Amino acid sequence: MRSLLSRLAGLAMAALLATAAPAHAQRLDLTITPASITMPSGDPDVMPVLTSPPVTVSVRVRQIKKDESWSLTVLANGDLIAGLASVDISNVTWTATPAPPFQNGTLSRTVAQPLASGTGMQNPALNASVTFRLANSWTYTAGTYTQTLVFTLSAP
Amino acid sequence: MPAGRFRIITLCVWALAAGVTAAGAQTATATLAADVQPLGKLTLSATSLTFPDADPDLVPQVPAAGGPLTITAKGRAHWGTVITLTVQADDDLRSGVTVIPASTLSWTASGTGFVDGTLNRTTAAVVASWSSPGVHGGTQQWSFANSWLQPAGTYTLTLLYTLTAP
Repeated sequence: MRSLLSRLAGLAMAALLATAAPAHAQRLDLTITPASITMPSGDPDVMPVLTSPPVTVSVRVRQIKKDESWSLTVLANGDLIAGLASVDISNVTWTATPAPPFQNGTLSRTVAQPLASGTGMQNPALNASVTFRLANSWTYTAGTYTQTLVFTLSAP
Repeated sequence: MPAGRFRIITLCVWALAAGVTAAGAQTATATLAADVQPLGKLTLSATSLTFPDADPDLVPQVPAAGGPLTITAKGRAHWGTVITLTVQADDDLRSGVTVIPASTLSWTASGTGFVDGTLNRTTAAVVASWSSPGVHGGTQQWSFANSWLQPAGTYTLTLLYTLTAP
């Protein structure tokens, strides 16, 4: 009898874990399209701001309570780098729609910046349009600058 | 209570609690790229220089009328390269068939990166150079080496300024 109960216990735990884990993983969905964002070159006198094509940020939040909040942040892994040259990442700003729940902001390499926030479920997914802008300058060394942006969608 | 049944209850409670209260986060990454191409832009305060007639004994070096030429050079170049501004004459000074060497024209310069120099019709002379990108400004005061040996006439040539941002 004890052996049977032990086996049942194991099966019950496995079943619960199997159902609980996927449900938890699917609560938050975040996609960035395209994942490669390029701002084209331009004459600073003619184009004082370099603008990226619109980036679609898709957010879906499920299985949270009505009074629970969720947030989306973005953090740069560093400044824009092109070999030995760099451009401070704070020269990059973004505009986002719809606002709210999305908001405009300035990139940082030290503090995750808020991109969107809300309360309760966001289902179906909300698709936002985000455009990144770099303040153009004659003081930039020529090159192709890159940096990784980390978007984090979190909920309680 | 049998030990096995107690274990079932304990495990079920733990599993359900884990599914409801654990914090959740989802991350995604994107690569941000900015293309900054080499670029140069040159602005001169005047497109012509005139040296008035003068007595060589009194004015051996005739300055260009209107004062110094103001130069603004904007340049972006790759790391480790030098932005260079040069000037070259397309020919010697000519008045009909009469010729005065282009090297009778020279300048004194002011501004960071600018250097004094003498005009040449075969080789571009360096006016200024910079090791960093940016907006660079300076002046060039042209003068003409006056001489009794020069036949009277109105002499002209064309100056070609070249800004290189590699």
